[in-house]
Amino acid sequence: MNEKITLLKTELSKAVIGQKAMIEGLLIGLLSDGHILVEGVPGLAKTTTINALSSAIGLDSKRIQFTPDLLPSDIIGAQIYNPQDHSFSIKKGPLFTNLLLADEINRAPAKVQSALLEVMQERQVTIADETFKLDRPFLVMATQNPIEQEGVYALPEAQLDRFMMKLVVHHNSEEEELEIMRKAATKSFAEVEAVLNIEELSVLQEELAQVHIDKELEHYIVQLISATRDTDKFGLESLSSCIMFGASPRASIDLYKAAKAKAFLRGNSFVTPADIGYVIHNVLRHRIVLSYEARAKGMKTDEVISTIVETLPIP
Amino acid sequence: MKNNLGKILSLFFLGMILLQAEDFAYTFKVDKQNPYIKEAVILTLDLNQTSHDKVLLFDFKIRQSDAYHFQRLDSKETDTGRHAQVHYVYLIYPLKSGKINITFDLLKKVTTEESVAYSFSGDRDNVKGLVTVDTPAPLPPLQLQVKALPPGTTLVGNFKLTEQIKQHKAEAYEPLPFQVSIQGKGYPPVLATLFPKEGNFTRFSEAPLVQSVASRQGTESTVTYPMALSHDQSFTLPSIEIKAFNPEAEKSYTLTVPAQHLEISKADVTALVDKSDSPKRLKADWSWLKTLLGYLVVFTAGYLTALSWKWRKKTYKGVSHPLVQKVQNCQDERSLLQVLMAADDQHFDAGIEKLEASLYGDAKISLNKMKQEILEQIR
Repeated sequence: MNEKITLLKTELSKAVIGQKAMIEGLLIGLLSDGHILVEGVPGLAKTTTINALSSAIGLDSKRIQFTPDLLPSDIIGAQIYNPQDHSFSIKKGPLFTNLLLADEINRAPAKVQSALLEVMQERQVTIADETFKLDRPFLVMATQNPIEQEGVYALPEAQLDRFMMKLVVHHNSEEEELEIMRKAATKSFAEVEAVLNIEELSVLQEELAQVHIDKELEHYIVQLISATRDTDKFGLESLSSCIMFGASPRASIDLYKAAKAKAFLRGNSFVTPADIGYVIHNVLRHRIVLSYEARAKGMKTDEVISTIVETLPIP
Repeated sequence: MKNNLGKILSLFFLGMILLQAEDFAYTFKVDKQNPYIKEAVILTLDLNQTSHDKVLLFDFKIRQSDAYHFQRLDSKETDTGRHAQVHYVYLIYPLKSGKINITFDLLKKVTTEESVAYSFSGDRDNVKGLVTVDTPAPLPPLQLQVKALPPGTTLVGNFKLTEQIKQHKAEAYEPLPFQVSIQGKGYPPVLATLFPKEGNFTRFSEAPLVQSVASRQGTESTVTYPMALSHDQSFTLPSIEIKAFNPEAEKSYTLTVPAQHLEISKADVTALVDKSDSPKRLKADWSWLKTLLGYLVVFTAGYLTALSWKWRKKTYKGVSHPLVQKVQNCQDERSLLQVLMAADDQHFDAGIEKLEASLYGDAKISLNKMKQEILEQIR
């Protein structure tokens, strides 16, 4: 594995105990210019991870707590009138950062979600008649709380599609929690130091672009995505009544990029079917819309993805 | 004649109180100051704003009391501009003899034209209340010297009584409809009991039907007492006398329900199976046992349902992990890799790497050994 990646992971482990899947997901997003949606209950070190990552790479990070009364101008910025010289100046919002934690994104109304998701896609912000390009890297880690459904504005499928991956974060193991408890009690969490700079990150991204992916695997990715849309064609008749909408072409792109990033993080210069298997659940779980029948049976998108992976032959 | 005119004039001034407060003037007028108990008294109140430099509103109420009963007959309120005027007419019935005080509550509400206009401009989702500065304005009580009624008086007013009985002959226990109405002007003639509940007959009755219209002349009422009488033998309904007093004529009089004899013919019981009332049971009633058994069956069914759920849970516990069968069914390394990839579980990362190395690298592994390792991980 690349030494820099190992160093980065070691540095992050100083502040974050466990949560390897979340850290790896963030690194995949950071290296492949994707955004991450995290679903998990409060207190699972989401903010800590973002802060640790920004410190370890020497990046700027900000956190926005989404609330029902939040306005688009609260996140993108606004024009401020200066009465002394009768002029307007631009006050940039918290979006102007490298790593952004959008906490409980589904608490804000649709217009705020749209403002953020548009910026995620365009990577530029227009305030009044002035357009500002966002600094690279720009990674958004948005969180959703799965236990509260009252008073939330669920993200529509079209907007969910803009997230490269949806990670489901679980509680730490008992051993990890014991370590967290002891370290928190003795305040012995080590300071995260910068082990990477933006230039080195760019180099890593260039190296990632060089990771080879075989044509057969490219076809395999396309087949996996197509299977979510046309189940019968791939012998998945059992799923035909379960899927209302399959994954979009953005899913193919993101699965391709995420598989390459996973291979890179594993220290390989080529992608294997296992790399695709490692990331496919995270890439597809928010992109498949289950039918009413499937939801009534208590089915989850993860089960659909597993069935597809089990059925389609690997190259 | 001269003396009479003087009496009338003095009475008129006694009955009228004209007073001037800080911002308004008010007048109380009563048509009589020495009424009898339950005799109608008409009270007229006029409130006029005298200081026109502010917008003024009034909130007037007569305080509730056991000594009198009152009812508002007429009201005119002019709140426009700065010339508030209030005119109320009340009908009061004193309920106690001697000196009684009729007490009032008056609230003076000062506001502005803007506030009045604002309070009307709100919509359904933006209700705007009228902002006022409220000040209680003390009003002196109105005193009445109430005269007692002659002893034994039940009704006060000028009433007439009518009774109606449709038939005087009936079969045993057949109901005989009977109705008494008291009609006239005065304090509503509602009586708690007109006839005794039980006498030598059975009486079925319902609440009296009261129709009253109040006016400046008093209250015109018609109170109807519907009843039905029943007995198994002939009986005589006793005469009822109700003592009444007419305060206008200052005379007592009596309303009478005359005695009625009612003929009851005995029922023919010769054709009946049971010739006596409440005969003894011919056989034992075991229906309670049926009910008890029904409850026991329902309880047992519920208990067994709860138990069966528990049994089902136990059997679920016994079912092996769904991956076990899938792993056992794998015929080659490729299919095993597929199963592990689909499981999306970090615990199988090592297994995936080994299979990967074997499939796409030079490493050699035993499929059975690999499967065994994975099954142990699952268990």
